[in-house]
Amino acid sequence: MSYEYIKFGKEEREFRQKIEEISGENIFSCYQCGKCSAGCMFSDKMDRTVNQQILRIQLGQKEKVLSANTHWVCASCLTCSVRCPRDIDVAAIMEAIREYTLREEPEKIKISELPKKVLEKLPNIALVANFRKKTG
Amino acid sequence: MVQYSYFPGCNLKTNAKGFEETAIAVSKKLNVELVEIPNWNCCGTVHTMTSDNIMKRIAPVRVLSRSKKHIETLEESPNQVVTLCSMCNSTLKIVSKEVSDNQDTLDKINYQLEDDELTYENDIEVKHFLEILRDSVGYEGISKKVVKPLKGLKVSPYYGCMLLHPEEAKIDDEEMPDVLESLVESLGAELVMSPLFKYCCGSYHIVDQENIVSSQVEKIVEAATRRGANALVVACPLCSYNIDQQQKAMAKESAGFKPIPIFYFTQLMALAMGEPVKINHFKEHFINPEPLLKELGLIGRKKTK
Repeated sequence: MSYEYIKFGKEEREFRQKIEEISGENIFSCYQCGKCSAGCMFSDKMDRTVNQQILRIQLGQKEKVLSANTHWVCASCLTCSVRCPRDIDVAAIMEAIREYTLREEPEKIKISELPKKVLEKLPNIALVANFRKKTG
Repeated sequence: MVQYSYFPGCNLKTNAKGFEETAIAVSKKLNVELVEIPNWNCCGTVHTMTSDNIMKRIAPVRVLSRSKKHIETLEESPNQVVTLCSMCNSTLKIVSKEVSDNQDTLDKINYQLEDDELTYENDIEVKHFLEILRDSVGYEGISKKVVKPLKGLKVSPYYGCMLLHPEEAKIDDEEMPDVLESLVESLGAELVMSPLFKYCCGSYHIVDQENIVSSQVEKIVEAATRRGANALVVACPLCSYNIDQQQKAMAKESAGFKPIPIFYFTQLMALAMGEPVKINHFKEHFINPEPLLKELGLIGRKKTK
């Protein structure tokens, strides 16, 4: 059995602090009860649950956090935020992970590559909301 | 007649025309006229949850300050701006709470608004039309205007996320709401409760991750139909589009799937109050509600004035 050592270096701390800065939340408020993931209606489509992502941010594991699809599956319905017993705005943390990525690479979705048919048939709120969430 | 400053938002002008036209028609009947703000802009649809991005907060504050100017020109108007779209409702409410808590942010935004000769002073309240119906009109006032009770329509309320989340924007209790339920009952329709009343429809994922939306919609519709519903009532143009359009796609794929029509709550009100059917714009729905309404004798057969 192999062990993975937990590192607490400068890189780990900086990642965690950046997420805290963007979201305005204290990531260490979380005590891993899992209520956010239990109530999340998209949990079955995520490769890491919401509370797992939060634990990884606490540990500063940047690559693991960013490589999961969790924050891109999150649709900001805010169910987790209103239910959190520690009053953490969990959805804001998901938004912070998205923003962290978008501030480096601002195009998660390439608008110019969307087929014209899609652009024409979709309601404006779907497009505006999507572009605001997925472009920097 | 009380006049409200009304912020439509973009979708009410494109693919939710039936929502707006019916709302304006029933509002006149109930003496709470909705008067559209001149030269409004998009509120930004989704609220930014970042703590450090002021730019994304300028658009909703501009809407609020324009509405304030508009209210001054109205008669008997309370200091409130009314929205129909639940996403606009939540965006405007959150931002107005944020700037009232944080003077520094407001000053920075006001500095940006100088070019438009606007300032915002935290002096306006955002209301969803459902709140006006509940608090100012009252369900009794609504049922008095009903000329054609919606008998036979088994409606399941679907709130979606943005009417109930977050704390700053909710129009009712987030886990046990009853505003749509009471409204449906006051119109004479049968109420069907579904546990998935706020199960997110997938929202803006419809643009690039349609599979997420379709699996959500399948569960929402299944939960409602299994309990006997033959229609859903919604308040959000995006929920409506997602559920409506995905159902059509699902019906094409599997013959066993039975789609149910989606109504905006104002469409049900307009039907019950005997407004002309054409303001509902049923032709724009993917699942046309007209066959069901005809079968139940709610439209067609007898002509009502």
